[in-house]
Amino acid sequence: MTYPAKQSRLSRRSVLKLGGMLGAVPIGKSLDKVVAPPPPNPLRSPERWLSSRLVEPLPLPPLEVIALNHLAFGPRPGDLESFRNLGATDEQRLIAFADQQLNPASILDSACDARLINENFQTMQKSLEQLWADHVVNNDQGWEYRMLPLTESERAAWIRAVYSKRQLFEILADFWHNHFNVYGWHSYVGPVFVHYDRDVIRANALGNFRQMLEDVAKSTAMLYYLDNYINQVGGFNENWARELLELHSLGAENYLGVMDPFSVPVDENGLPVGYVDNDVYEAARCFTGWRLDYSSWEPGVGQSGTFLYYPDWHDRANKFFMQKYLPADQAPLKDGLDVLDAIAAHPGTARHIARKLARRLISDNPPEEVVAAAAAVFISHVDSPDQLKRVVRVIILSDAFRTTFGDKIKRPFECAASILRITNADFIPSNEFSWNSDDMGQPLFSYGAPNGYSDEKEDWTGTTSLLQRWQLTNALLEGWIEGSVIDLVSQMPSSVRTPNAIADFWINRILGRPMHPAENRQEIVEFIAQGRNPDFDLPDDMRIERTPRMVALILMSPDFQYR
Amino acid sequence: MSSKKLSRRQFLVGCSSAIAAMAGARLTSLAFANPGESGAYNEDILVVVFLRGGWDAMNVVMPVSGEDRGHYEAARSELQVPVSGEGAAIHLDNQFGMHPAMAPLYDLYTNKNLAIVQAAGLTSDTRSHFDAMQYIELGTPGQKSATTGWITRHLESAPNLPPSILLPALSAGNSQTMSLLGSYETVAMDSPGDFSFTGDWYYKDLQRAALRNLYQGDSWLFQAGIQTLDAVDLIESANPGDYTPANGAVYPGGSFGSNLQTIAQMIKLDVGLRVATIDLGGWDTHEGQGDGSEGYFADLLANLSQGMAALYTDLDTGGASSYTSRMTMVVISEFGRRLRENANHGTDHGHGSTMLVLGGQVNGGQLYGDWPGLGVDQLYDRADLAVSTDYRRILSEILISRLGNSNLDYVFPGYQGYQPMGLVRSIDEPPPILNQKIYLPGVMRQVEP
Repeated sequence: MTYPAKQSRLSRRSVLKLGGMLGAVPIGKSLDKVVAPPPPNPLRSPERWLSSRLVEPLPLPPLEVIALNHLAFGPRPGDLESFRNLGATDEQRLIAFADQQLNPASILDSACDARLINENFQTMQKSLEQLWADHVVNNDQGWEYRMLPLTESERAAWIRAVYSKRQLFEILADFWHNHFNVYGWHSYVGPVFVHYDRDVIRANALGNFRQMLEDVAKSTAMLYYLDNYINQVGGFNENWARELLELHSLGAENYLGVMDPFSVPVDENGLPVGYVDNDVYEAARCFTGWRLDYSSWEPGVGQSGTFLYYPDWHDRANKFFMQKYLPADQAPLKDGLDVLDAIAAHPGTARHIARKLARRLISDNPPEEVVAAAAAVFISHVDSPDQLKRVVRVIILSDAFRTTFGDKIKRPFECAASILRITNADFIPSNEFSWNSDDMGQPLFSYGAPNGYSDEKEDWTGTTSLLQRWQLTNALLEGWIEGSVIDLVSQMPSSVRTPNAIADFWINRILGRPMHPAENRQEIVEFIAQGRNPDFDLPDDMRIERTPRMVALILMSPDFQYR
Repeated sequence: MSSKKLSRRQFLVGCSSAIAAMAGARLTSLAFANPGESGAYNEDILVVVFLRGGWDAMNVVMPVSGEDRGHYEAARSELQVPVSGEGAAIHLDNQFGMHPAMAPLYDLYTNKNLAIVQAAGLTSDTRSHFDAMQYIELGTPGQKSATTGWITRHLESAPNLPPSILLPALSAGNSQTMSLLGSYETVAMDSPGDFSFTGDWYYKDLQRAALRNLYQGDSWLFQAGIQTLDAVDLIESANPGDYTPANGAVYPGGSFGSNLQTIAQMIKLDVGLRVATIDLGGWDTHEGQGDGSEGYFADLLANLSQGMAALYTDLDTGGASSYTSRMTMVVISEFGRRLRENANHGTDHGHGSTMLVLGGQVNGGQLYGDWPGLGVDQLYDRADLAVSTDYRRILSEILISRLGNSNLDYVFPGYQGYQPMGLVRSIDEPPPILNQKIYLPGVMRQVEP
């Protein structure tokens, strides 16, 4: 497709955002020094942006803080205590938490389910065929109804992020949505988004990667988004094949550019170490004829909107993909399936997926040991139905997981959800909430380019990004957003009355650790005391008026932004 | 001139003590000086437009005659821009024409404000969007490990900027572009009117003051926080308010037009802006790009061209102090697209591209760069337009001749053999004598009934 799609969302802002749709791309980092030190510049001094205060590195917080921020959208009240009751040692507690979270079906989720039922969603139970029939073929109710499967999926995602007890599953669903990103507002993606979210992403999030690749390849959403629905013999379209290799599987780290495919070195198992442009073209030919059952005039094509292998469009000739010979006239689908088999079992794919998962769950630059360990499990369980669950488990139980915090910044989705969670908000996703949260720069399912939202802090620390999260914090805490009610004072024991006690109660509740640097606590105390003695009780009216503003300040502080 | 200048008092009243202390001592000599007054400091402004997705450069400027026209037509039976008749290319010379949707730029071209560099781009072997963008914006082709963007390194190494500038760099839009990676003096902003700290009328100022203390520190997050607070102080004290473009300039609707307007507004606020970046996405036209002259791709080009022309008109405030005389805009995309169209009225990823350079000091009205030809053996990988001009050559010339920064080793490490193309007049040369009013671009002339 030509992202961003030409149709626009109904809300005022999101479509405007797409101007910079490819702006946030991941930044590879290594210690290589490619840039020499700057030449002396007597005029411009760096002091302008350097303060006098040297901040020590963030001390390692308790394990429950790491776990609830890396494997969940932040803690809800009581979550940190629950984690501490899971075992006698940190290791026991983490294993218990991981195994509970990695088996989401075993977690009773009635509170979240009730909220989802309350939304009266119309599309969440529909099959792909029903979605297509109702929202594309027979839709006479206009754009909003056409896109209802998307907007309902978006609301459901927010409710689950805030209320579901299956938090790791929600984190991973978000991860895979970005990994296999499609632009939800594409006019043929939005109507089937429920299918993509439910049957492609969520169905495989803890499953087998090879199966997931195939489900993605055959999904109506991806077929449209990366143009394979029109990929045919005699003039192949390489969009899908290129991103399949570069983003979905082997990764740009294994792309060797324009090179004679016969000169690519092989590894110890005889596999080519990477892919070249010729492999992109050969893969594109392999996927010719992988299209959709949607046409009013072609023979043998119906109107169901589901995947269709169409031999008339398939390039029958022999192919050569990553040093494997594919003879002419293979069985239906086999050329494409051979490509998926080859890339899903390639160690480059294993490392790429392992590194991305570790980046999501540990830090922007995860240590190589974790990546290697997770990649090894990825390869040794390449055919297991729970391959991805095993890979994630290795990452969670690594030393690096337990010893890393604060190298990441919450993205807007995590920031907003964590505010709603820790404040025990009564939250119903309204249009007004979407408009406000979209302004932070991460409207769900609305990223235009196929690489998905960046998972690195450099892309989320710009001035607009930070300012908008402060704005959302105050809007929520001031009660300005329809559907979001936060009553903090009633959650505070009546004995908590002095500025010191109020500040400590909320710092402990929100962060589960002291503020850093320690003197930042004093700033919070002074904010709520406003010159009064911090050991004396605040009058009721001041306690009621100042507590939400002080809590907002904690939520806007650096301490709350870390992941 | 209708630009709203920020008075010293207005600034100091609204501003945080930190910024005021920093700026106070230098207000007389720095960003508040009128253009041309301060002399010692370079005052040129670089605007970088990045076209995300890889634009189809072959349909931006295309051959209109000769053997290459034959190659072009053979490769593009559906997508070719015709030589004559309806939707014909705008002929730039005997050999090349410009897409008709770029008509808003044609007057700027004939007025010699717009230069076009053909077959420009990245010399690295990649047809990946994301690799190509990183190489270009980090300024380190073939390497992705740099932790600063090329514009960041320009700002770090420029020898002729004031000791402090209030707002040297702007990323117009929601996020900071990668060419400004690692810059803690950049403001990323959609619109100055929305850029404020909101909250309870009484408590928000207390929160803001507290945040300044909470974020005081030297690590990445703390610096980003202070950068944000400073930017809010600055924009608020500049009191941007409503903006009316000058000369009746009309920006196109949508984010590109409004972000361009933000750039113009920030330039005119005279807060010291030296570089601005802006993105326009949607160029990855694998399908449905329209026929040669109309459709999706033509609409994108029209949006780009109208926006560029509107910015130029808006900034063309006349005479030697015109903002346009200090502004150089460069338009770049990560690559061009395949010469041969695909079966879906689209084009796949290619190599050589076209770059545009617009400004009051540009030696425009001509095509630059060696044309490699479209014969199959002349193409890159027998498929795409080759690259004859390294994109760094174009940016380097602007850096040296306009921005007065010759530290190429630092900005573009590893770049060798730089030679100027003569794209822009050097800051040392006197400006040409032109009656600007006679040559105003076409967008301005929308007065006929």
